[in-house]
Amino acid sequence: MPVSAMILVIWWLVAHNSGSGWVQAIGDVAFGTLTIGVVGPSVVLFRAKVRIVSAPNDATVGLPMEVLVDASTRLRVRADPPFDGEGLVGPGGRRRTADARITLVPQRRGVHDTLTLDIATAAPFALQWWSRRIVLPLPSALHVAPRRGRPHVLPVQPHEDAHVSVARAARDTGEPRGARPYRPGDNRQQVHWRATAHTGEMMVRELERPSAGPVTLTVTLPRDPEEAERVAERALATIVLLLDKGTSVLLATREASGQVLAPVSDRRGGGRRLARAVAGTGSSDQFGQIAVSP
Amino acid sequence: MRAVEAIRRANQSGPPENSVLLRAACLGTVLVAIAACADMGEVSWATALGAMSLACLGMAFSYVTRSRPPGWIKILVAVGASGAFAWFFHAVSAPVGGITSVVNPLTVLLVSVLAVHSFHVPSRRDLLFSLGASAGLMGVGAAQAIQLRYGLFVLVWVFFSLWTLTEMWSSTSGGGRISATGLISAIAALTVTAAAIFLVLPAPVVAAKFNFLAQAGLGGFVGVPGGLAGDSGSPTQPSRAGSPQGPTRVGGYLGFADSLDTALRGKLGSTTVMLVRVQRPSYWVGKTFNQWDGENWTATLSSPHPLSQRSPFVLPVPEGNNLFGQSDLQTFYVVTSTADLVFHAESADQLWFPASKVFYANDGTIVSPIGLGSGAIYTVESQVTSPNPAQIRSATGQAALPLKSQSAYIQLPHPYARVHALALSITAGAQTNYDRVQALIAWIGAHTHYSTDIPPLPAGADTVDEFLFGNRVGFCEQISTSLAVMLRTLGIPAREAVGYVPGPYNPITDLYEIRADDAHAWVQVWLPASGWQSFDPTAVVPLANPAPGTIALADIGRVLARIPLIPAGTFVFGAALMAACVRWRRNRPPTWAGRIARRVERAGRRAGHPRRPNQSLGEYAMMLDTATGSGSATWRVLASVLEASAYGGLEPSSQTRRSLIAMVRRNGIRRRTVSLGTQKWAVQDSNL
Repeated sequence: MPVSAMILVIWWLVAHNSGSGWVQAIGDVAFGTLTIGVVGPSVVLFRAKVRIVSAPNDATVGLPMEVLVDASTRLRVRADPPFDGEGLVGPGGRRRTADARITLVPQRRGVHDTLTLDIATAAPFALQWWSRRIVLPLPSALHVAPRRGRPHVLPVQPHEDAHVSVARAARDTGEPRGARPYRPGDNRQQVHWRATAHTGEMMVRELERPSAGPVTLTVTLPRDPEEAERVAERALATIVLLLDKGTSVLLATREASGQVLAPVSDRRGGGRRLARAVAGTGSSDQFGQIAVSP
Repeated sequence: MRAVEAIRRANQSGPPENSVLLRAACLGTVLVAIAACADMGEVSWATALGAMSLACLGMAFSYVTRSRPPGWIKILVAVGASGAFAWFFHAVSAPVGGITSVVNPLTVLLVSVLAVHSFHVPSRRDLLFSLGASAGLMGVGAAQAIQLRYGLFVLVWVFFSLWTLTEMWSSTSGGGRISATGLISAIAALTVTAAAIFLVLPAPVVAAKFNFLAQAGLGGFVGVPGGLAGDSGSPTQPSRAGSPQGPTRVGGYLGFADSLDTALRGKLGSTTVMLVRVQRPSYWVGKTFNQWDGENWTATLSSPHPLSQRSPFVLPVPEGNNLFGQSDLQTFYVVTSTADLVFHAESADQLWFPASKVFYANDGTIVSPIGLGSGAIYTVESQVTSPNPAQIRSATGQAALPLKSQSAYIQLPHPYARVHALALSITAGAQTNYDRVQALIAWIGAHTHYSTDIPPLPAGADTVDEFLFGNRVGFCEQISTSLAVMLRTLGIPAREAVGYVPGPYNPITDLYEIRADDAHAWVQVWLPASGWQSFDPTAVVPLANPAPGTIALADIGRVLARIPLIPAGTFVFGAALMAACVRWRRNRPPTWAGRIARRVERAGRRAGHPRRPNQSLGEYAMMLDTATGSGSATWRVLASVLEASAYGGLEPSSQTRRSLIAMVRRNGIRRRTVSLGTQKWAVQDSNL
């Protein structure tokens, strides 16, 4: 801008010393163009109408998600933290087709009802960019689940020995419900000899599943956001591991409304719970812990 | 290292620019700027055409090699630009003869740099540089533009510049296009801003010691050295008196000769003779006369003698004039061949003239040795003294007028007894010569009328007697002669001066346009303490028997002449455009649904189906669908979306909106007439 101002001053001096009104006329047009080029984008930005047409309900930290944005004019859109990503939206191109899709990458878990965007334009002359921060409501709440980290080390169950795989143990535990014919792969220790003798064919015990009671996972997030992210990642990984093992999971977290203890049936549910989770209260030595019981 | 890195970063080209339209628009600005300079004569057309061809080739080459510009092209551009600069410095280091000796090489330099640079414009930033350089070239062309025709180039260049900038936005934003409304608003705002700045800033004026233009025109040598071309306008024909048989030729005012016949006033026409750029308007004198014979004025006191110097000519102080005054620089651009008199404001002291010598007379008359044909330019600097009445009255000291001159300037062919008595009665109460002059002028203004449409005087009649004691209707030569003679009867030295008065002023070119009928005669009076001072009695003389409408029109014309019409008109136009835009925006329904509903109603009304006041949009759409008879539910679909948007807050996406409108256009514009009961409905224009 200082250079432009200097050029205009020189121009004006030349106009007023050469005596030619044409120089002044061209200088005035140039000044007018610069003025409109510099001020114009602010007007365009002020009048721009932007809304989010659709957004996913669930997302995961670090994984891209797409948001459909409807803009009345061509805009450069950049997401503010905790999202990352930018794109051009609004009518454009020779056929005036609208670009509406921008790809965002969440940087942190959480629940979002709104999206904060930096919208910018340099219309009409591309001489100066103006930007404005706007907060747009999302059509529905967006749950950003944590990444899946390394799972918490689960305690070995009493019926498990160290050399039995987790999958095997899960299958071979529980209360006897009855007997059924033997199928290849059944544990020979489960053979029901009395029934075998009675029926004349190989019978095995059928165990009632789940053989074990639900596992309660208590997640206490620390106050440090980065550390809380790590803890949430591990908690999600643990939940997924438990669910894969067929274990019912009761997840205890602290949310904005208070302490919540509720079952988690699938990964998405776990992700949503952890997205809503907030840092715990109380003594700081309990923070950052994942407690599995029993 | 940091500085090197900064330089490297600054010279780093941006990403390659792929937009062909942006390049085309930018090339347009360059071509228009070169053509403008060529048209203004600052660069030859051959050079301009060569540069334009190179610029086109270079731009095409840049586009082809935009992704990987060859390394040697930078070296080539640098060598080309360095060569152009070297030539420029060589050209301007020659003996300076005026601003043209700098401006024209500067134009050639800019044209060369633009042509060479066009071979290496891979990125958007390089194109922006080309646009800026073309603006500079337009400015250089404008610095010497003296014609309104230059405005055409300015308009075309502005068009290409705006196109370039909008294409630049399109390229920057990945295909963003400004809507027609937005573009109109931007142009209107730009126009208003530019016009407002033009109106607010003081008008450009010539700075002293800057413009010393001198250029030979199409005129040849005058047959008689120091002789006057007279009314012929031809440089080969010596001075001769005017002919009563017919009108004189353009620029051929009778007074621009050895004698001035006051009985004749030819029809000079309104052809523009000269354009004058001055620091302040003035009467530009060509010649003075001292000898009066009752009908003709002749100059007998001094004959022009040659001044052989190099331009600028240092002119002697005219006899009886003051040495010092306020500097006034005047540049005259000859448009139509005119007399070979060098016109100037009084007390010229320097002259930039394209000849090896000029002829100069002691009364200040300057005669050109060459004909002042079209295209000739010369510059004069005068030391103008413009004392006010109080200064003249209070001036002390006696400037000497030689005795011989004194007697020549009070010479009369006969005693003029009646004139003397009249002059005495008019000036009875006047204390000083200045007061006497003013009293006589006031009397002339009150008792005489101006008209060029009078019959020639009878043979042998005295012009002054006929004018003052006849019907008192005459033209400027007769009016001024009467004043001069009345002053002479009172013993006050006076002489007749002829020249041009300023014509209409053009604020864009900053030039006064002198037309042939701006030739004028006035009186110079010797005031002992102030020297020769000019007085124009015609200025206060009213027109003879003017119609009231003529006076009103003349007054309106004078008022309008003071308004810079082009910028004011542009301002008004821009403001009106903005007001129309604002009004349109205010009346426009705020929502998309409202706007489309209004357009549906309008289309239906045009097709003969106005919407009834109690009809909902859905019902109205149903009626339109029935009326078209196509069986489609186009209008109903549209109405349902509009109602969902208006009452349900379900805003359709831009894509949906466009597809809806396309559907309506596709199905609704067809001309169709169907019978519906006893009525015939015709839906022929949805116009959505």
